[in-house]
Amino acid sequence: MPEPPRFIATLDSNSRRTPVRIAFLTRRTSPQVKVADDDVVMTWPNGMFRALVAIELLVIALIWLSVLWDAPLEALADPMQTPNPAKAPWYFLGLQELLHYFPPIVAGVLIPGLVVMALVVVPYFNINVEAEGVWTKNRQMRLRVFVVTLFAMIALLLAFKVYAVLAPTLLIGAAMLAAARPHPNRRFAIWLASKPLSYWIVTWFLITASVLTIIGTFFRGPGWAWVWPWEL
Amino acid sequence: MRKFLIKLRQTLFGDSARAFGTLGIVMLLSMAVVPLRDQLREWSPYQNQYLKMIGGRADAVSLRRRFESGIHQIYNPKLGVVDRCTTCHTGMQEASLRNVSLQPLNAHPPIPHRLQDFGCVICHRGQGAATSVEEAHHSSRASEQPMLPARYVESSCGQCHLDRSPGTPSLNTGRNLLASYGCVRCHVVTLPDGAKITPTDDPPELTHIAEKTTREWVYGWLKSPQSYSATATMPNYQFKDDELRDISAFLVPQSPTPASAPPLAPAPPDAATLQAGASLYGESFCASCHAVQNAAGLMVGGNVGPELTRIGMKAKPAWLAKWIGNPKVYDPGTEMPHYRFDEKQIALITGFLGSKTDSDWMSGIHLDAPTNQQIARGKQLVSASGCTSCHVIDGLPKSENFAPELTVVGSLPLVKALFKPGMDHSLPAYIEAKIREPRSLGPGLKMPQFSLSPAQVQALTTALLAQTDRARTLPPSMRVAGVYPTPYEPAGEAGRLMRDLNCFTCHAINGHGGDMAPDLTWEGTSVQRVWLFKFMKNPNTLRPALIRRMPKFNLDDHEANVITDYLMTVYQTPAFDRDETVTHADKAEAENGRQLFYSKYACQSCHIVDPKQDKGYIGPTLTAVGSRMNAAWIFHWLKGPAALRARTLEPNWSMSDTDARELTAFLVAQKGQSAKMGNKP
Amino acid sequence: MMPAMEGYWNQLRRTRVWKSVFRSGTGTSNLHRSQVVQQSIFLHLLAVKVRKRAISFRVTWYLGTLSTATFAILVITGIPLMLYYHPSAPQAYADMKDLQFVVTAGVFLRNLHRWSAHAMVLLVFAHMFKVFYRGAYRTPREFNWVVGVILLTLTLFLSYTGYLLPWDQLAFWAITVGSNLLSAVPLVGEKVRFLMLGGHTVNANALLRFYVLHCVILPAVAVMFLAIHFWRIRKDGGIHTGELKAAVKEDIPHA
Repeated sequence: MPEPPRFIATLDSNSRRTPVRIAFLTRRTSPQVKVADDDVVMTWPNGMFRALVAIELLVIALIWLSVLWDAPLEALADPMQTPNPAKAPWYFLGLQELLHYFPPIVAGVLIPGLVVMALVVVPYFNINVEAEGVWTKNRQMRLRVFVVTLFAMIALLLAFKVYAVLAPTLLIGAAMLAAARPHPNRRFAIWLASKPLSYWIVTWFLITASVLTIIGTFFRGPGWAWVWPWEL
Repeated sequence: MRKFLIKLRQTLFGDSARAFGTLGIVMLLSMAVVPLRDQLREWSPYQNQYLKMIGGRADAVSLRRRFESGIHQIYNPKLGVVDRCTTCHTGMQEASLRNVSLQPLNAHPPIPHRLQDFGCVICHRGQGAATSVEEAHHSSRASEQPMLPARYVESSCGQCHLDRSPGTPSLNTGRNLLASYGCVRCHVVTLPDGAKITPTDDPPELTHIAEKTTREWVYGWLKSPQSYSATATMPNYQFKDDELRDISAFLVPQSPTPASAPPLAPAPPDAATLQAGASLYGESFCASCHAVQNAAGLMVGGNVGPELTRIGMKAKPAWLAKWIGNPKVYDPGTEMPHYRFDEKQIALITGFLGSKTDSDWMSGIHLDAPTNQQIARGKQLVSASGCTSCHVIDGLPKSENFAPELTVVGSLPLVKALFKPGMDHSLPAYIEAKIREPRSLGPGLKMPQFSLSPAQVQALTTALLAQTDRARTLPPSMRVAGVYPTPYEPAGEAGRLMRDLNCFTCHAINGHGGDMAPDLTWEGTSVQRVWLFKFMKNPNTLRPALIRRMPKFNLDDHEANVITDYLMTVYQTPAFDRDETVTHADKAEAENGRQLFYSKYACQSCHIVDPKQDKGYIGPTLTAVGSRMNAAWIFHWLKGPAALRARTLEPNWSMSDTDARELTAFLVAQKGQSAKMGNKP
Repeated sequence: MMPAMEGYWNQLRRTRVWKSVFRSGTGTSNLHRSQVVQQSIFLHLLAVKVRKRAISFRVTWYLGTLSTATFAILVITGIPLMLYYHPSAPQAYADMKDLQFVVTAGVFLRNLHRWSAHAMVLLVFAHMFKVFYRGAYRTPREFNWVVGVILLTLTLFLSYTGYLLPWDQLAFWAITVGSNLLSAVPLVGEKVRFLMLGGHTVNANALLRFYVLHCVILPAVAVMFLAIHFWRIRKDGGIHTGELKAAVKEDIPHA
């Protein structure tokens, strides 16, 4: 006959009683403290003043920017006259640059849709949450999948002549292969090897988006043809 | 020093609270720059300068009282005007500052409009809303056009003024040129009131060109129309020689040659016949309409018909004879009257015109028989060059809207204009260059080279700059309506005759027709039937100072009667009756009239009654006025000439009824002897 | 000088009026400092205490704070701009000219609004990447990351709707190009575009819609999500400061 439990845990909604928190330890685990908590300081004034100083610096910078540079104002809107090139706001120029390579359904719908979706689901993927280095487990298998994927992407980008995306892809691909070397010993190699898959994907996305936006902003002239910034 | 800096840093940024305070002060100081920058705007020195300038003047007090510092503006919501030009051009409306020559402080020169009603940019363009010099004048970052150079400023008048105002000569000339050089045959130009400018030139149909001229002439003409006739309005298409060969190959054989063999070309005329032809040319007053270049290179003659300097090179003698016989057969719409010449006269004139040649011109042109390939290419070239915009050509449809519409070319955005290097980057410069040297602006442009004087180019530019967007959106009440000719066709047999003779090329009725000869609006009231019939049969001059007179059309009695009856019946003034009795024409009255004529009104200074003593060469001769004009007309004419003919030179004497009656009695007594007065019997 | 000023300062803080406004009182004890935060409507979303590491520049680069600051600047400059602006074509453009040429400090106001708007987009993007790289999206902060993504899209929409308002060529064609992308969406694209623009092309209706979105709807929604965002920072355990080095080392493979 099993020994009766020494206490009974219940859920109670009586607001007059102070709740007691209890930790249940199941078998094969032991309590451990992963991170020792940092020192804490008072939000006021320590945190607040730091924030305020940062804000003041920002405001000063923006004031001088506004005093010295006027916001652009062109001629009155005229639907009959399309400026060449007609450019979207700068943060959409990466997309507009993609439109140059891919059909609108891909560049204008599929890619931004996927990006937003990916951003939303980022925290819900175990692989992200565990933050393991991408090559830690199943190295051979993953390497095979990775090489196939990489070549597929390179082929696709070459087919559409998207060199602006191809360059960051090759860069990241090379970095990931470097990270896949077994038994890293140097610090940098260890650091590379510790990076999870999501790190690589986001870094690739960051570089690609920056390159596309910069090209769209500074290197595109009439007819979306390539120009140098000093020719604009 | 170092210690001090460390201490300073400690004081200013030692902890985050200090840094917050220090940066807060920096932030506030930065913000203080903003209103300061506002104080230093470009216009404020100009206003200070203005105050300083008027300070030394006698009318300083009143000027200063009317001056307000700050931004000034002329606001007229009806016109969409927000003009702040007067912020710097402070003294614009101060009449007393007209003699000041210091821009921008001086006053505007006097104009027929009030500045407050129109603002500035409606006439001068530029960006009225701006208060900085660069943006207001050059408008480099706005949709408004930059300021208009002063020489084109008449174009702005043309946005409202569709009348031919005497204040806008260049604009008026330009609008006439658009019509008379055939610009509007390729380009649609709609005036602000919605009326299209209609062409006034008369490009010939080319359907019978083979009957009229040769392939060599067509080649030479197309190569350079102005080398054949300096006054030709036909532009130069700058065709290459092989293109000219193919175009002439297409144009000439494609028109049917006359079915019957043309009569043999008359034998080259001898000197006497030539002389007779020349005098018939003179007597028929051909030169009223046609010009001929004389030895000195000057054009002698009118510009209604084509120049005839080298007509012998162009027209085949058989065609010429047929044309002079009756031009309406070949071209029913021609302005050339149908002279009723007899065979001999036709031969004389044909011979004379046929002798007008130029051995140099066309000398180098030798064309072989065309191949089918050349003809096909010629057709393609004719079609691609837009020839059918002006000329009717068999086998090709009339091309509509061959060239871009120019209705709003005065608001053309600069991005749509073409510029060659070194050219002023402005709309007037573009339009001017486009008119002056159309093909120089880029390869592949189709517009041909016109022969225009610099003044004509400026006039055309002015007229086109008036075609703005604003002109079409201004309230219609502002428009000064244009005067457009309405078609006028007299009825019946007389109407047909008058068309045949093209009376309205020279005479006008109620504002329809030309101004080369007297207005005939009230002719039926004015003259006597007997005189008019005789005049129709054999016109003579009424004015001693003029050699030019109505040409003799050789009308037969029936024709002369028909026209006379029509004029006598239809062209009467409703103001009075021509048979009204105004005087009994007794001796005493006539004698009083003579006194008035010679002393009180001194009519002899302009008119002649007694050819022996009177020396008046300005007005018509009155020796036979009694047998020419009706008494009632003379009476009412003396009472108020301007009411009967608007632009007569006759002064308005404000004559009493008695004076007018006595003068009338004197004048109707002047029956004269027409044979003595006419310069030809 | 300094001690004297401090004296005046403390005297001021002891007055009855001051105390009626700021209930935290004059003390410098942790209790008083806690009260400053707790008793302010604006600050009470924050915790009373923060980790020392969390307020260091290295961890956050203050990107979230600065994003919020640009939003505040945009609200503050946006309201006076609304006073000079008519959302109708072409009056909107004439209003820009008036701001530029007539209104006192009008050009500065517009400049500050525009540059702050660009700064905000940039800072929000930077904030997102910074959060990602320090792993601050992980449990229990997943939802706050999602709120952040919503705020990012709101920022983009705010900027995009504001872009049309000057009604110049730049505005018109940027919005035309952007809205044409919507047409590529299968089935609903054209309809959504029509709904957004109030027509088939960018016209006066679009201007009015963008104006209302820009000045009322989107800021209101953004303020709401901002409140959630801040609240969740605190409820999810404060600013994520990353793991200690020792803890990270355990995960290194083959080490």
